[in-house]
Amino acid sequence: MTTPDANGTPAIAVEGLWQVFGNDARARLKEARGRTGSAPEAAEELKQQGLIPAVQDAGFEVREGELFVIMGLSGSGKSTMVRCISRLVEPTAGSVLIDGEDILAASPKRLIELRRRKLGMVFQHFGLFPHMTVAENVAFPLKMLGKSRAERRARAFEVLDMVGLDGREDSYPRQLSGGQKQRVGIARSLAVNPDIWFLDEPFSALDPLIRRQLQDEFLKIQSGLRKTIVFITHDITEALKLADRIAIMRDGRIVQIGTPAEIVLKPVDNYVREFSKDVARGRHACLDSVIQTEGPLPEMPDDPKLRIDMTLDDALAACMSCYENVPVYDRDGKMAGYVHPKELADALTVDSE
Amino acid sequence: MTDQTAPPATALPYLTPGTRAALASLLVAAICLALEGRADWLWEWPDAWTLPVTDWISQGLGWLFDLIRPVVRVISTLLRYPMDWVNVALVQTPWPLIIGATVALGWYAGGLSLALLSAIGLGFVLASGYWVEGMNTLALVFVSVPLALILGLFIGIWANESPRARPWIEATLDLMQTVPTFAYLTPLLLLFGFGPVVGLIASAIYAAPPMARNTLLGLQRVEAEVKEAGIMAGATRRQQLALVEIPAASTQIMIGVNQSLMAALSMVIIAAVIGGFDDIGWEVLLTMRQANFGQSFLAGLVIVAFAIIIDRISARMATNRDRHDLRISWIILAASAALAVYAWAALPAASDIALLAPTVEAVDGALTQFTRATGATLDSIKNTAMFYGLLPLRIGLDGAVLPFTWGFSWTATMSWVLLGGGAALGLAVALTGRVAFGASLPVMAVVLETGVADLPWPFVLFGVGAVAWVAGGWKLTRLALVLLALILVSGLWERALLSLYLCGAAVIACAVLGGLLGLLSAVSNIAWAIIRPICDMLQTIPLFVFLIPVLMFFQIGEFSAFLAIILYAIVPMIRYTRHGLVTTPPELLEAAVAAGATKTQIMRDVRAPFAAPTILLGLNQTILYAFAMLVITALIGTTGLGQSIYLALGQADVGLGIAAGAAMAILALISDRIVQGFAEERRRALGL
Amino acid sequence: MKKLAIAAVVLSTIGGAQAAELGDTGTPIRLAINEWTGQHLTTQIAGQILEEAGYTVEYVTAGYMNMYQAMADGEIHAALEVWESNVSDQYYDQLEAGGVVEVSDLGLTAREGFVYPAHVAEICPGLPAWEALNDCAMQFATAETIPQGRLVDYPADWGTPGADRVAGLELPYRAVPAGSEGALIAELRASTERETPLLMVFWQPHWAVSAYDLTFVDLPAGTPECYEDPSWGVNPDATFDCDFLPSRIFKVAWSGFEEQWPAAYEILEAYQLATEDQQPMMGAVDVDGQSVEEVAAAYVEANSEEISAMIAAATE
Repeated sequence: MTTPDANGTPAIAVEGLWQVFGNDARARLKEARGRTGSAPEAAEELKQQGLIPAVQDAGFEVREGELFVIMGLSGSGKSTMVRCISRLVEPTAGSVLIDGEDILAASPKRLIELRRRKLGMVFQHFGLFPHMTVAENVAFPLKMLGKSRAERRARAFEVLDMVGLDGREDSYPRQLSGGQKQRVGIARSLAVNPDIWFLDEPFSALDPLIRRQLQDEFLKIQSGLRKTIVFITHDITEALKLADRIAIMRDGRIVQIGTPAEIVLKPVDNYVREFSKDVARGRHACLDSVIQTEGPLPEMPDDPKLRIDMTLDDALAACMSCYENVPVYDRDGKMAGYVHPKELADALTVDSE
Repeated sequence: MTDQTAPPATALPYLTPGTRAALASLLVAAICLALEGRADWLWEWPDAWTLPVTDWISQGLGWLFDLIRPVVRVISTLLRYPMDWVNVALVQTPWPLIIGATVALGWYAGGLSLALLSAIGLGFVLASGYWVEGMNTLALVFVSVPLALILGLFIGIWANESPRARPWIEATLDLMQTVPTFAYLTPLLLLFGFGPVVGLIASAIYAAPPMARNTLLGLQRVEAEVKEAGIMAGATRRQQLALVEIPAASTQIMIGVNQSLMAALSMVIIAAVIGGFDDIGWEVLLTMRQANFGQSFLAGLVIVAFAIIIDRISARMATNRDRHDLRISWIILAASAALAVYAWAALPAASDIALLAPTVEAVDGALTQFTRATGATLDSIKNTAMFYGLLPLRIGLDGAVLPFTWGFSWTATMSWVLLGGGAALGLAVALTGRVAFGASLPVMAVVLETGVADLPWPFVLFGVGAVAWVAGGWKLTRLALVLLALILVSGLWERALLSLYLCGAAVIACAVLGGLLGLLSAVSNIAWAIIRPICDMLQTIPLFVFLIPVLMFFQIGEFSAFLAIILYAIVPMIRYTRHGLVTTPPELLEAAVAAGATKTQIMRDVRAPFAAPTILLGLNQTILYAFAMLVITALIGTTGLGQSIYLALGQADVGLGIAAGAAMAILALISDRIVQGFAEERRRALGL
Repeated sequence: MKKLAIAAVVLSTIGGAQAAELGDTGTPIRLAINEWTGQHLTTQIAGQILEEAGYTVEYVTAGYMNMYQAMADGEIHAALEVWESNVSDQYYDQLEAGGVVEVSDLGLTAREGFVYPAHVAEICPGLPAWEALNDCAMQFATAETIPQGRLVDYPADWGTPGADRVAGLELPYRAVPAGSEGALIAELRASTERETPLLMVFWQPHWAVSAYDLTFVDLPAGTPECYEDPSWGVNPDATFDCDFLPSRIFKVAWSGFEEQWPAAYEILEAYQLATEDQQPMMGAVDVDGQSVEEVAAAYVEANSEEISAMIAAATE
């Protein structure tokens, strides 16, 4: 399921990751794995013993600079997953490599070092320190790094400016609106300029309007910073809007990993299909996900000038009056393949069956 | 959402836990009754089976105390220094300056209202003529509370950091708070010797648990994400605690500080029994010894004044971060300092001010007048309550019904009629479907016939075990049985039953009366405006003070003790009942109104069930308060465990003091767990 | 005047003490202040005498029942009014261990017994003869004790002398422990104000004896044999079928006292206070509201000659 990165080590590589809650989880997981052949069977057995396998045999890789979204309903294990990767909880089994370094084997000292310099995290309910001002909150990771007071304050102002909160530096969190609080959270997680950025449902607690606004700003910030991001959400629209790739989780397992278009157009099972049901998929998938490139070219009487990066909606609108195959061109105007309008329509109604 | 599977409503042979427990108790009661006269050991625990537990404790502790006494004495000596400094500082500082400083602090924390409160409160202390004694008391509090706070903070953090130690720490904290305050004093006296240091240590021990609990609670309640944010910023565990978790928990911790202060203040008074310090507690005791109600009430009110000022200022600082203009505080302070410096010679010494002496005499005179005028009425109230309520409950109808009291003698036939009637009524009720209630009716008949103090011990063990099982399953049953068995073999059983009877009677009265007053307070704001300050006063005034009027009205004996317990223990019942009833979510009320419910229907069918868990918690508090007060009523002359504890203090008998204190704590703990169990069950049923 | 004369006699009879060193006058002598007014006066007078002799004195409030550990530790140096009838085990433990020593008798004559307020004489006309109690039992009965009469006994931690006598004399009464001195006084107050019957165990000297006009019931005279031997007395099968033995009241000191302040010890040894002197002073404090210091100072002033003689005998 994972896509190996051609350009060397992935920023994050997760393999065979298990998180089982309950007494004596480690030994019992090992036992169950030994007895049964597959991960789902082992998980089933653990459940019967009263344990909670929150993450089961998860594996994926995140490339440097990639925005990787983990999507799932509440209780699907996505928040646990991100806490395993950041080792906020101790995984029961498996490995997590960050830039090739096994974070699960890191000593407490090394772990603190990694968190101080390399990792940043944003929380669903902001996790702001109630007893510190906005500037103190943002400067806290710098304080841990041992930076001087002046240096901390200067950097805090800089980051706060970036998230559009200049002027509120000396307010307390309780005096801010939800959207402003999360801006502080984002600023704080960026204060030490970490390479890897974890965002745990950062926009879920916000009003829809504010949420969209922050998503846009987040994309803007990310386009400038190009961080490696693990982004948790339960909102398919958000996932589709932001992600380079999406992993969909269900009951502790990753059921599908793919680009937004793959998720929408080629759901692996009904569960994933159910997710994308209400999504106007025509807006999220582009022609590249449906075109035929192989075989002899059929006869094509019409040419509505479809381009490979057009969304399905636009393409369908363009060939309303076509009934035969039509050609599709790439960005340079060369023919990339062809598509039948009926297939276009089918792709959009895939879940009506 | 949790799934609730309702028990089958059909008449299948399914028995609810309540029914099973009631039937089992009934069975044991029947066996005991059947063997009455044939097996005395069932009815009375034989002396031969009693272990000399008190002697063992005395010897063991005597040995231990001899071992550690040198170290402890050093601590005791060291503690005397700060104590003396604070004392000298408070007593020597001119009173205008102390009042000024307090008013300034009041202003800073809470503005005009708190500044006024401070001025009036300390003004009252000054006018009472107890200024010096009051400052001595404060010195004790100000040294013991920091000790308690450090101790409590440390214990709270320890409990938070070590999940393995936590259950043990929590159990110890429970014990520290349920062991009656008097019982503390005996071992401390032997260990620390004499004088204010004992009071200091006693109040530090007593005031530490609330701090520890609130620290733990505060640390546990710090949002998970706040903690994670700290970790992700790369904080070490120490940095995390010091810079993130403790500051984030500060509100809860400040509530702990507030509760610690109040606990220390109440303990300081009780510790005065030891003597050694010319403080308010000693003054209360001295005036009480002369049955001078007016004077001891006045001394008691000084404590109330301190308590209210300390409580309001510390509570405001805990819950509200906004502060008032510091400059005005400085001005108040400077003005009072100027007054102290320039007008010192003209100002009277604090101890010479006794503006309230006439009032005191008036209060005392009024008490005399009232006693004289209503003597006959008071006697008939007391006799009615004793003849038809307390006596039957204690020694059973078979002992209480006499020609002098009820007008006829109790006969064996009557016993059978009562028991048979109870059984028949129980059966009738059971047939209507309320099996558990039906089965418990004959059990009640047995209790009424025999009397709580004369109940056979297997029945008590079994009955308590059965109730514990319904409330909290086998685990609670085991705990209850083991602990009760400890009392049984230690030879304190009879006294424990007497305590149980008196507390039980008082708690029932509190539940009924307090429930009604709580209901009244919930529906009428005027009633609450009257009841609330009375509740406040009942909770802060030294408990001793109420013994005098109660004694004057109803003389030495159980009824006075009963009333004194009610006076103190009714407060939580009123508060929690009202709180539960008024906090029904508005949408529930709107739904009820929309369904066309009348006010009475809303109260009965919506508010009351919703308030049930809260009311049960109130009942739980009432039980604990009743046990606490029971010891104090030993000063009136009761015969239960309280008397043993008081006796042990007088005789410096550590073994008896600790054994009786532990027995009392056990009774309180079991009642607490059982009621908590029921409250928990109600909460779950309501999905709270 | 008559009372003062008696005091003078008492003081003058003990003039033969050995002269001794003053000792460590720099360190204050700490005297115990217990819970009752009579003791405050006894102690205050002694303190003023010691001060006159050149010592510094501190008064330390201390619980009567459990002050002996502190005394053995040298925290408190002397307690000047200890009632033999009501001494805690701690005292005997410390006496045996050598932590405290008995100094000498104080000279107060204490009396304990069954008492009743004046108005009760009308309710039970046969009083003060103890046999009358048998007939009046129902008059003294209350809800808790019916059909027996009610006798208010000492607090349980002071022992159960009332209950012992009820049993010994086979009186149809139930002894109800009072719980505290305050409870006893509250009973007296309520009974006097409401003119209700009351029988209780009480003691003198105590201010309440005059304030509530208490009369002692004439029980069969108490003897040591009565306490030990069942066959003695009106009831051949029981002990305690008699009145209380007169209680000794004495002074107790820290065992290091004599070495540290030899002369002071002699003064305390010689110090005497009569019931007739103490009782009116108690009234002056508790009823008239004068301060203990004033009343004690007046006494010291009035007896200055005897006191000077006593100091001289001890120091010169």
